[in-house]
Amino acid sequence: MKIFASIYQWLDDRLALGRLYDQSIGHRIPASASSWFYVFGSATLACLAIQLVTGTCLALVYVPSPEFAYASIEYLDYTQPFGWLLRGLHFWGSNFMVALVTIHMIQVFLFGAYKYPRELTWVVGSTLFLCVIAMAFTGQGLRFDQDGYWGLEIVMSILGRIPFVGMEATHLVQGSPIISGATLSRFFTIHVFVVPAVIISLLVIHIRLVLLMGISEYPVAGKKIDPETYREDYEKLVERTGERLMPEGGGKDLVFTALILTAIVTCAVVIGPKIPNGPADPSLIHTVPRPDFYFLSLFAVFALMPPYMESFSIVYLLPLSIVILFAVPFISRGQERHWSKRPGAIITVVLVMTSLVILAYEGLTSPWSPHMNAWSGVPIQPQFVQGRTPLEHVGATIVQGKQCRNCHSIDGTGGKRGPDLSGVATRLTYNQLVRQVLQGDGNMPAFGRHLSPYEVTALVSFLHTLHPENEPPSQNSAPEAAPPLSTDPY
Amino acid sequence: MISHRLLLLCMLPMLWCCDGLPGKPDPANRYIRPTEVTNFDTLYSMNCSGCHGAEGKLGPAVPLADPMYLALASPIHIEEITRNGVAGTTMPAFAIEAGGTLTDQQIAIIARGLSTRWGQPQSAEVVAAAPPLAVSQEGPPGDPERGAAHFRTFCGSCHGPEGRGTARAGSIVEPPYLGLVSNQNLRTNTIIGRRDLGMPDWRQVGDRPMRPQEVTDIVAWLASQRVPRPSSSMAN
Ligand code: HEC
Ligand code: HEC
Ligand code: HEC
Repeated sequence: MKIFASIYQWLDDRLALGRLYDQSIGHRIPASASSWFYVFGSATLACLAIQLVTGTCLALVYVPSPEFAYASIEYLDYTQPFGWLLRGLHFWGSNFMVALVTIHMIQVFLFGAYKYPRELTWVVGSTLFLCVIAMAFTGQGLRFDQDGYWGLEIVMSILGRIPFVGMEATHLVQGSPIISGATLSRFFTIHVFVVPAVIISLLVIHIRLVLLMGISEYPVAGKKIDPETYREDYEKLVERTGERLMPEGGGKDLVFTALILTAIVTCAVVIGPKIPNGPADPSLIHTVPRPDFYFLSLFAVFALMPPYMESFSIVYLLPLSIVILFAVPFISRGQERHWSKRPGAIITVVLVMTSLVILAYEGLTSPWSPHMNAWSGVPIQPQFVQGRTPLEHVGATIVQGKQCRNCHSIDGTGGKRGPDLSGVATRLTYNQLVRQVLQGDGNMPAFGRHLSPYEVTALVSFLHTLHPENEPPSQNSAPEAAPPLSTDPY
Repeated sequence: MISHRLLLLCMLPMLWCCDGLPGKPDPANRYIRPTEVTNFDTLYSMNCSGCHGAEGKLGPAVPLADPMYLALASPIHIEEITRNGVAGTTMPAFAIEAGGTLTDQQIAIIARGLSTRWGQPQSAEVVAAAPPLAVSQEGPPGDPERGAAHFRTFCGSCHGPEGRGTARAGSIVEPPYLGLVSNQNLRTNTIIGRRDLGMPDWRQVGDRPMRPQEVTDIVAWLASQRVPRPSSSMAN
């Protein structure tokens, strides 16, 4: 034992280990800060550690080239022993990290912990948050499967809308005019070198700030922050009730971190990694791509928004919300920290979170991309075939053949971009149907140039039969030009 | 220290059985390129069920699962049409060279798979006496005038004497209809009927089975009522 003590002394003399401990994990925190609400930051840090370790291992195998990226993912999944587990840990680690960093921010926000003197901690933290999102995004791009590719496509089209420099920005990020090998190399570099380096540097600053300012005490309703006296009060509080972060105060952090690690390992072991859904090849359009969950809401915004609003929100709303995020400590300067005295803060969180959840749900269920093989792979159900005339049968094959079905479901099956057509005859008259098909409307393309008059007749006579038996088709109130034709000579 | 070693010992077997863990991706779920799919059911439901019906019947287009159709149509006939489609109709060309998505091998799998999946043995006599299914084998050209008479005999009860439809079955002489179907389609329907929709095949459609020449005549009569296709589209 004595020998250990002397080795320690030797090291301490050179490295000042004792002082390091006192100033870092051994520093004193207010007893009230040892709370179950204060555990999310350290858990996020633990996720980062997992990501660094598993990510390094993955990078040993992963080949960032368009020919081999997908294949090396499959190699990890099926050939490399435990490769799948590595991928699973990295995948779930990233999911948990995004979730935890978000919860951490909400907690800090609700507890008013970003207020004087910790404004900069918030600003650095927000940058870290954006970095985590950037990691998640570039990471799913590296999978280079159809989901990832498609996510890239959407972000590129977002970038492309930036006024004046849109083209240049996309080109810069993609490394070429289209998404290609150069894009993949860039994403790899960004994901493996650039952003991690930024994260680690910012993290050092973030933690330095946390240590410098001290962990905020648990807010007390009615207790105001006064910049004049705050620091003094804080120091007194620490002196009076303080305890060391480790081993005393941080017990809850350890427990929670252990729980999170267990959860990540369990998810990785039980659910496994995300199986890539086909190589990123624009000519393979047979799947309906979906981004990872944290992008669902973002992408849903763009899928659901009318086109004229898209550019507006990309150019103004998105940057604006980022600016607001950074500006939180400078906008909300009230002296109250406790949430019960800050209804605005609660409303903000509830509003932002509900809209994110609703959007994510929409993103999960809404059909932003057409169902690409509905035309040949989703049958016209028998009830819409029976009792129809031969001409109407041909019309039904045109609904399929002209790929109307990729956007339109009939009785629930098929694409969901446009309205379900099973009761369309009760809504539109024959002539309105003709007009809809020929001229399109809103998000529906005009088919006038792609259909011969015979085809229009067949198609519309089929559509005209789509009404429930007990509900007659919509009639022309005033007969318009062309009535349903059977022997019209054209 | 002891407990540490115990822990390690316990973990070793765990590492071994990792291969059986539920999260390990199952190669069976691996993504297969559409051109590598060789399973008939998948190929059929992804490519054909949209128009020909989920089970090969009760779709708007020819019921490919009809056992009599499968007995009369040669796999070559089916392959040919699947590969190149039918010009002027909505039957698309599926061969990659023709702009489709299926390889020759896949088309062969579908053509052969149809009989394996839905075919039923038919008596050799019936098949031998049946009118040839393919238009290319129909023999001497049909006579529309005789065809009109045969139509009244065999088909009039349902489609009306002029073919303009009755309550039992719809019109088959409207120019848009005739303009959008091929003679092969008319011939196929006349021979095998639409048993899934209540139209009998050539044997039961009248008091006696139709003769091959009668089939040809009826198709000729139907085809003679085509109005030249309007050329321009409606957008102008
Ligand atoms: C027992 C009644 C019946 C008879 C007899 C009959 N058909 Fe039909 N036919 C139908 C029915 C039912 C359909 C399905 C379409 C409909 O309901 O209008 C149909 C459909 C058709 C079709 C279109 C196929 C499709 O996919 O819609 C053609 C062509 C046709 N019949 C030709 C004939 C010819 C030619 C004859 C005489 C040889 C004939 N039919 C005799 C009942 C009949
Ligand atoms: C790219 C996707 C897309 C395709 C392909 C498409 N549609 Fe549409 N369709 C829509 C959308 C979206 C609407 C809703 C239009 C709106 O309200 O702005 C719509 C509306 C309609 C409506 C009116 C429905 C109602 O209840 O008011 C009809 C009818 C219709 N489409 C028929 C067709 C037919 C027939 C085809 C094929 C020739 C077709 N559509 C192809 C997207 C599509
Ligand atoms: C978009 C609708 C559509 C799809 C999808 C489709 N077909 Fe067809 N098919 C048709 C129509 C319509 C016809 C009748 C064409 C005509 O007028 O000859 C037809 C005719 C055929 C015929 C000829 C029947 C005869 O008269 O002997 C065959 C064989 C056939 N289809 C096979 C297939 C196969 C196999 C697939 C899938 C690989 C397929 N079809 C997919 C619409 C379709």
